[in-house]
Amino acid sequence: MESFHYSQFSQEYSNVHIALFTNVTNATELRNRLVQASTMSGPEGDAERQAVDFAFIDATLICSTLHLKSAILNSVLAQAQGALRTKTVHSEILWNLNPTNNISEAIRRYGVSSSTTSLLVVRIGRPGDPATVQMQMSAVVSGDLSPTSRLAGITDWARVKKYYKILQQIDADPQKDIQRVHEIVVSSVSMKSVIV
Amino acid sequence: MNPESSSTPTQRLISRATLVSQGAEAKVYKGELHPPPIYPVPSGNRDHDSEPVLIKYRFHKQYRHPTLDASLTKSRVAGEARAIGRCLRAGVNVPGIRMVDLQEGVLAIEWINGKSVRFLLGGGAEGEEEVDEVHGDVVESEETDEAEEDPLKGYNITQDDIMQLIGTEIAKMHEADIIHGDLTTSNMMLRPPSAPDKSSELVLIDFGLAYTSTLVEDKAVDLYVLERAFASTHPASEPLFASVLKAYERQAGKDWKAISRRLDDVRLRGRKRSMVG
Repeated sequence: MESFHYSQFSQEYSNVHIALFTNVTNATELRNRLVQASTMSGPEGDAERQAVDFAFIDATLICSTLHLKSAILNSVLAQAQGALRTKTVHSEILWNLNPTNNISEAIRRYGVSSSTTSLLVVRIGRPGDPATVQMQMSAVVSGDLSPTSRLAGITDWARVKKYYKILQQIDADPQKDIQRVHEIVVSSVSMKSVIV
Repeated sequence: MNPESSSTPTQRLISRATLVSQGAEAKVYKGELHPPPIYPVPSGNRDHDSEPVLIKYRFHKQYRHPTLDASLTKSRVAGEARAIGRCLRAGVNVPGIRMVDLQEGVLAIEWINGKSVRFLLGGGAEGEEEVDEVHGDVVESEETDEAEEDPLKGYNITQDDIMQLIGTEIAKMHEADIIHGDLTTSNMMLRPPSAPDKSSELVLIDFGLAYTSTLVEDKAVDLYVLERAFASTHPASEPLFASVLKAYERQAGKDWKAISRRLDDVRLRGRKRSMVG
């Protein structure tokens, strides 16, 4: 897990924690748990919501940590401007990753589902002990905590291109083409407020 | 004017950035958008996410009506971002977008290490007020006599090669029906090669006046603006510009004929070209 301190954000949202879990085995349970937590009431509900207060993202659709951070940046900016389109800053990350305005589609595509095996987990919060956050994440996800550098080998570029409607090859060299696709995706997420 | 008061995240970002230059429309900064990790303790591996960004801040114009100013600024930022986005999809070399904050009138793009083509070709006096030259690795040698120092040293490229890159990129842009609107050699940058056997890369920048058009007229005018910019900034540059057009023709293929004809017309139209006494 990596932690970052964004000095330009207000205290409440200044610390960002990102972890990559591979070989995830409890994806279905996790998804059900998230659905349940949103409807549970009382102190039990609050405790559940606290335990899963993260963004759970299908890692195969993320091109790089920069891609993810661009969506995170948009989410915190929206929060600061009082312009969130979804309920929380965490769900906003999923919305920002999706090229369209449809919230359910964003969660369906980029969120955790029964077929998810690689998961990116994000927490945006106050400054605190990163080790605690890492423990909380590991308590909820059954999988192998891996360095984010592993993300490069996990990305499903075909699906990424499909969702971002990048239909033709831009560069003859396949490596350069991937770089171009990466740039289009990062830029598209960054300019979501303008194009969608 | 207090653009750098710390109340919003973007304003705080700017207050921590370094001013690079100031134009009539915007202030340009070099800053950091994403910080390096605080945990685990940095390993010394280069963190590409925390690379610098260029921040273009379209500050509030006191002389404009506030409502109009807010609306104009937003649409300029949006227009620039969209044009860059379209260029990226069309395979044109432009900087990537890293953040758009319409509320604050801010656009953050990928920092391009390198120099402007204007500088590399040895231009005249700089138009904009430069606060601090913080571009890339190539050493600034404004103080010494530049006649002997070749500004292209280290770029592995000839002036003619640069012209060909320019022609090719503009042709790709026009193929996607994007008109730059302000084509000058100051709005083109050359990235130094990443390795001794690689070549430099040309990047088109500043899409603040860009728009979409399929019209041959608009493309011809776009080229004409560049032709005039060349003539006025770089003495005896007609053969250079000819190379630009040759490369454009090669990339544009069948579209070239119509654009070339129109360009001739536009040239005849130019200032003080009337054949009337």
